[in-house]
Amino acid sequence: MPNILCNDLCKTYRQGDAVIKALDHVTLEIEPGDFICLSGPSGSGKTTLLNMIGGLDELDRGEISIDGQRVDQLSKGPLADLRLHHIGFVFQAYNLIPVLSARENVEFVMQVQGVPARERRRKSMAILKEVGLDGLEDRRPAQLSGGQQQRVAVARAIVSQPKLVLADEPTANLDSVSATHLMELFRELNQNHGVTFLISTHDERVMRYARRLIRMQDGKVISDEIQKSV
Amino acid sequence: MTLTLRMAWRNIWRHSRRTWLTATAMIFSNVLLVFMIALQFGSYDMMIDNTLKLFSGHLQVQAEGYQDNPKLRSSIADVRSLAAELRTALPEARVAPRAAGFALVSSEDRTFGIEVVGVEPASEPGVSTIPGMVTAGRYLEEADSAAIVIGAAMARNLKVGTGDELTLLGSGRDGSFAAGIVTVVGTFDSGSSDMDRALAEVPLPWFQDTFAMRGHGNSIAVAVDQLGAVADARAAAATVINDRDDLVVLDWNALHPGLRQAIQADLSSAWFMYGVLIILVGFSVLNTQLMSVLERTREFGVITALGVRPRRLASLVMQETALMALVGMAVGLFLGWLVTLYFHVHGFSYPGMEELAERFNLPGEMYPSITFGTMILGPGVVFLFCLLAAVYPALRLFRLHPVDAMRTV
Amino acid sequence: MAGRRALSLAAMSRLSWRYLWRNYRRTSIMLLAIGVGVWAMIFMTALMRGMVDQMIADGIDALPGLVQVHHPAFRDDPSIENSIPPPGPQLLAALGSPPVEAWTGRVKVPAMISSERNTRGVTLLGVDPAGEIALGFDPASVVEGRFLEGPRDPGLVVGRKLLERLETDLGKRVVIMSQDPDNNVADRGFRIVGVFEAKLSGHEERQAYAGLATVQELLGMGDQISEIAVTGGDYRDVTALHARVREPAGPQLEVLPWTELDRYLGLMLGVMDGFVLVWVIVIFLALSFGLANTLMMAVFERVREIGLMQALGMNPSAILYQVLLESLMLLILGLLLGNLLAIASIQPIRNGIDLSVVAEGFEMMGVSSVLYPALKMQDLVLANVVVIILGILTSLLPAWRASQYRPVEAIARN
Repeated sequence: MPNILCNDLCKTYRQGDAVIKALDHVTLEIEPGDFICLSGPSGSGKTTLLNMIGGLDELDRGEISIDGQRVDQLSKGPLADLRLHHIGFVFQAYNLIPVLSARENVEFVMQVQGVPARERRRKSMAILKEVGLDGLEDRRPAQLSGGQQQRVAVARAIVSQPKLVLADEPTANLDSVSATHLMELFRELNQNHGVTFLISTHDERVMRYARRLIRMQDGKVISDEIQKSV
Repeated sequence: MTLTLRMAWRNIWRHSRRTWLTATAMIFSNVLLVFMIALQFGSYDMMIDNTLKLFSGHLQVQAEGYQDNPKLRSSIADVRSLAAELRTALPEARVAPRAAGFALVSSEDRTFGIEVVGVEPASEPGVSTIPGMVTAGRYLEEADSAAIVIGAAMARNLKVGTGDELTLLGSGRDGSFAAGIVTVVGTFDSGSSDMDRALAEVPLPWFQDTFAMRGHGNSIAVAVDQLGAVADARAAAATVINDRDDLVVLDWNALHPGLRQAIQADLSSAWFMYGVLIILVGFSVLNTQLMSVLERTREFGVITALGVRPRRLASLVMQETALMALVGMAVGLFLGWLVTLYFHVHGFSYPGMEELAERFNLPGEMYPSITFGTMILGPGVVFLFCLLAAVYPALRLFRLHPVDAMRTV
Repeated sequence: MAGRRALSLAAMSRLSWRYLWRNYRRTSIMLLAIGVGVWAMIFMTALMRGMVDQMIADGIDALPGLVQVHHPAFRDDPSIENSIPPPGPQLLAALGSPPVEAWTGRVKVPAMISSERNTRGVTLLGVDPAGEIALGFDPASVVEGRFLEGPRDPGLVVGRKLLERLETDLGKRVVIMSQDPDNNVADRGFRIVGVFEAKLSGHEERQAYAGLATVQELLGMGDQISEIAVTGGDYRDVTALHARVREPAGPQLEVLPWTELDRYLGLMLGVMDGFVLVWVIVIFLALSFGLANTLMMAVFERVREIGLMQALGMNPSAILYQVLLESLMLLILGLLLGNLLAIASIQPIRNGIDLSVVAEGFEMMGVSSVLYPALKMQDLVLANVVVIILGILTSLLPAWRASQYRPVEAIARN
């Protein structure tokens, strides 16, 4: 179970002449089994925070540790391994490999992990069934709806039972029915499998599911509150 | 088939037109290379073969220094028994002892300086094609003594035919005056005007008597069945003459230094041309793969975020290239093989080639040589260069920054 | 209809230029490919041309002359019997006027040469040294001693190889034996006064020069000669020279141009022209796939923009021209690069590349081992014209496809 500590994170981006403070002294602690929503307007630093925790980007200052392991000090290779085995990513759209079928997309990560073929197949079929895609396993991304694609992405993110799932606006391109289904799926995984979720969103429907809601603005955390059960 | 390989295969057909265009560049070069290399090696083999078979053989045992300065005095003592020893040591090969000297040949009307070679009539056909090229009369026979076979052009210039007598004048091995009268038994037409004009063959015993050779000869020609057997035969022959310090074994390279160099000169200009073709194909692959990598930046960014290391992505790109190059190689090899096969059966010729070919002892039609080696050489090199060309696009993946990559649409 | 007016050429060029550099990597790679291709076309052609030119020039010097006059039987049977009288007044007049630049009469007979140690067969040449030099004999090739000084010179000039074979030296005496017209053996002692080196070792081993009058006297042939060698004008076109000599020579003499005298040489000239064309086209074809691909990519990635332009009123033919213009710019830049590369790489080696490593092989082909590249305007033009014309043809398909998109469809893509 991960215990994530973020201490004094700073990150600025340069866009032309403008300097954007994406993270401005952010300090945060995430406990195992948490279900957190990050909300805030565009450019408030949500995505940057997710990227930092996932080790996709480098900090200007501050430190991040997951279970005592300093993520900001890992080199690229071990970071990749960390993501591969312990962190699942879900992005807003276009995040499947277009030439692979739904099942192959799910199997892809397992193959990289070195899971034997038979087990890959069993696991991928099971997880696709769990996310409600049985019968669609052999379709390519282009033959799936936006909601279905996101389910495949979720299946891919959780198939190797990561302790942490980072989701960046997962419902941005979904209709409300699909969005609700996706969030139900997330909650079920959180409650029954103990997966920690950190979801960035500005979708009210999503925030309702959050146990803890963190609001960001201009790279700062402006509020951090535990919500009463939904 | 691994998932990555399957991915690679599907990826290359995402832009089928682009893939085909790139593959067609490979196919074009491969067909050309397969055919040209087969033709080249076919003609080299033929050039070597025809040159060696005509007269010199694949190997010769000579007195040291004879090759550079062929004098009657640089000779091999007891040449016929040494030839017999060589026959025992080289059961597969054909061995023919010879003696050769310069002589003045006179008919009633004319006098010329020519090269007279004393040969064993029974052994000579094994090492030289001249006996088979006798167009009038016959070749020498064991029983012949004062008989001579001369080139057709020489016969014309001397104004003689079979049955006519010729006088030979020269100097013997000991410096004495050598003279003899021989009867023309046949004339040969070798196609090489130098030989037809200036070469004559007489029986070895008669030569040895006339030129005071005392059993000596000047060379022993050895012919083997194929070029590949030359090295072994050479080693075996070297063992036989081990105890005779005055003798050397020369292989065809030493006998015809121009031959290998002509081939090398031709090869080097050919390789320049092939190299250019291959480099152009390489550019084509470089461009295609670079574009294909750049346009998938976002996709690769997502995959990296899943925890896949760049090495694996690079290997994906290399596999894509390899597959594309395999398609180019398979189709190119097949078409190239078809083209080559056609000319292998029907012969290849172009206007004027006959005259050009004669200079290199080649027939007017060339037959490309179809062997696994000549077929695979060109496409194999193209394949390697295609992979090489994909290295830069693949390396770019190591510089991929997932956050920037995913921002790219 | 007003909106369908074509763009001005300047505006179109600007557009094309910007599109060309939009993906600078792709354009640079393609430029490099075209550059290397064009470089290879020109460089290789110049080397091959140089080789063949050299080969022909050496061959003509060795003959010598662009046109030769013989007794009809002489070439098959080069004996003293087949000699000819010196040119009569008519032929003499022809030989004294253009396009003839120089001519000389020579005796050329088979002979035996004996030193104290060895005997060899040679071709004995009785020459007028001044005429011989006018026909291409290089006096500088006499590396030891001197060349003959006149037709009555009693000395002998031999090749270095022959000297080695005879195991003799400059200043030593040798005996030359040959047949006189009555089939008697005529012999005479000669002192070796000069040693020459020839580009082709065959000549070094088989030729000996003596004074014309000396040889005529030795063989008792009066003023008869074996051949008349004539030169004048460009070796590529000997018809005028040939005709000028053939007419007055009359039917009893055989007058042949060098292309007939040495068929191998003559053919090389034609084969070379064919080779240049084939080579240029092969290289272009290898390039064309990459060119088509690059343009296809350039068109496909801007389908939306093409739709937009059409929606804004740019008509399909303008789009076609715009893409063609883009391709033309690419081709011209590539050609520029290729030509510069070619000239830059030929310039430093114009004084010859020494290929003596494979000298004997080149000799087998009739080439000397120093290779002088010959950059010819016609080849340069051929390469450039082929690339431009076939290049535009190759770009027609992508350009045409670009012009065929329907605005709505195009914008709807992606």
